[in-house]
Amino acid sequence: MSKVLDIQCPACNAPLHFNAKLGKMKCDYCDSVFDPKDLKKTDKEEVKSQDKVVQNENYVTYNCPDCGAEIVAEENTSATFCLYCGNTAILKNKLSGEFAPDKIIPFKVEKEDAIKAFREVTKGKPFAPKLFNQESNIEKITGLYVPFWLYELEVNGSVKAVGTRVSSWTSGDRRYTKTDFYDLEREGNMIYKRVPVDGSLKLDNDLMNSLEPFYFHYLEDYNHAYLSGYYAEKYDVAKEDAVKDAEMRAIESTKKAMLNDMGNYSSKTYKSDTLVSNIVKTEYVLLPIWMVNVKYNNEYYMFAMNGQTGEFIGNIPLDKKKVVAYIYMIFAFTFALIMLVSYVIFLFGGGAV
Amino acid sequence: MRKYSYLLIVLLTFLFGMINVNAQVNVIDRNINNNYGVNKKWVIDDYNMSNVLSTDYVDASEKIYDFAGILSENEKSILKSKIDTFIKKNNMELVILTVNKQYYTDSYNEDVAADFYDYNDFGLDYPNYDGILIYRNINTYSNDPYYDIYTFGEAQLYFNQTRYDDILDSVYSEISSKDYLNGFSHFINLIDSYVGTGIPSSNKYQYIDDMGFIKNRFKPPFFFATILSSIVTFIIVKVMISKNNMVKEETKADIYLDLSTINYSVRNNVFNHSTTTSYTISSSTSGGGSSGGGHSSSGSSGGGHSSGGGRHG
Repeated sequence: MSKVLDIQCPACNAPLHFNAKLGKMKCDYCDSVFDPKDLKKTDKEEVKSQDKVVQNENYVTYNCPDCGAEIVAEENTSATFCLYCGNTAILKNKLSGEFAPDKIIPFKVEKEDAIKAFREVTKGKPFAPKLFNQESNIEKITGLYVPFWLYELEVNGSVKAVGTRVSSWTSGDRRYTKTDFYDLEREGNMIYKRVPVDGSLKLDNDLMNSLEPFYFHYLEDYNHAYLSGYYAEKYDVAKEDAVKDAEMRAIESTKKAMLNDMGNYSSKTYKSDTLVSNIVKTEYVLLPIWMVNVKYNNEYYMFAMNGQTGEFIGNIPLDKKKVVAYIYMIFAFTFALIMLVSYVIFLFGGGAV
Repeated sequence: MRKYSYLLIVLLTFLFGMINVNAQVNVIDRNINNNYGVNKKWVIDDYNMSNVLSTDYVDASEKIYDFAGILSENEKSILKSKIDTFIKKNNMELVILTVNKQYYTDSYNEDVAADFYDYNDFGLDYPNYDGILIYRNINTYSNDPYYDIYTFGEAQLYFNQTRYDDILDSVYSEISSKDYLNGFSHFINLIDSYVGTGIPSSNKYQYIDDMGFIKNRFKPPFFFATILSSIVTFIIVKVMISKNNMVKEETKADIYLDLSTINYSVRNNVFNHSTTTSYTISSSTSGGGSSGGGHSSSGSSGGGHSSGGGRHG
């Protein structure tokens, strides 16, 4: 079954590629379709006795001498440019080190859909530069499996707050306002499951967070067959470092949940908390992201799209000329409108003293 | 004794005649042949005929009509010369009218003054009969005589309440002490000074219509429009810019909370204390007092004029 490990068609030996729409491996030559899970079953039997160095033979890495990026690809997937800086002089190497994700969410959105979504990224955004999503940028849209740490966190501790209830009434010619003050406290624990934090230094955390949510019930056991036709990154942020972001979010949400549980008050003022979080479980997964790095005025703007749900997210640079033109236009229009309305009011409001 | 009585009567008659010399004003008869003395565009009908007939028809070139007899011929001559200079310089009419009649309201005095100007040939050389009338009634409220200034046509635009008040207050000491030569001279000087200064900015967007009424011109709200347009532009552009920024910082993990795992060991909502504040509800009071200021109004002729507001003294 070594042919399966090479991701070749068991029927005709032609290369197999992952088809995002079908969610299956498809033979380009004989149109046979295979479930990656089935491939993995046979794969596992073979791999059991092999060490990681042997497993690494399924991958190559492309290193960018300019920006230092290291992209992992399945051995049959070739890269021609650096995803991050566009450099075409990238070096192909054998994968070294560990690359063993626990699970993966396969791509659900095809490249054509990603291109369509990117074409629409400037819709309704009048300040976007004119040629921002031109063809030369569209060509660079790449399917990338981004390493994520998924944390199961238990947050426990207490939150204290002061609540007020205000009532008012009138007696005679006096108006009374009574404010009741309450000491509010909640103590307990709650669990957050699969809080994702990206494990890539090169990818902006806020951009990756903006792609949420991912539907984790689609997580599959990792099989290198899923990588066919796509690229991947090795994590370069350790799980001990990435967890801080997840803990911060979980503690903030716990604080909010406990404050909400305190009931309805005219006002609730947070006082203090003793919330701490503990890692229950960590998973190392690959999540599918369509990405493109667009160069504008000598700066790169990264756009990413959730490869499971689909909508391009990113900060579009401002076309300053358009901004200035719009400022003049809106000001002139508003100014003229105010003058017109004032004149109409003057005409119908009467002019005589 | 009888002889002395006659002498006394002759003497009194002479003195009375001396006094009345000052009070003599040449009055012309109003009749159908001279269109009742009305040479202006006013329509004379049943409504205002009595006003026309009760208004003395005078020679408009005299400018000073001292029915109250408070000015000597010499004083009149000095004032007439000042008035002529004013008229020549400013191209508007100037008239002094003094009366000695018991009018009990300011508005009655105003009607008399306005009718006097409207139903005589004052300002006839100017499109809107532009001119000013200085008015003195020595008998209003018996011991509380009255004076005021009335403006007609374009002359109305040169005076706002501040200017009316300044003129009326400035001449008070002279008029109330019956120093009429200096009082009216002061009047004319102040009027001349204000007309020379030009139309005040508060009246800049006003004009006089065909019937002599003050009308407002459209005053473009430049300052307001600039401020409001800037605010609107700022908000719209900010919203448009925010559309370009799709990346948002995520600070919470609400969607990953497993609701079935929420467990509370303490849930305390404990009353601590209360505070009560109170205040007296103030009943609304309406602003009292009358301004006593000048105003713009219509005379019986149908034409407009303005009044300074008047003073007693």
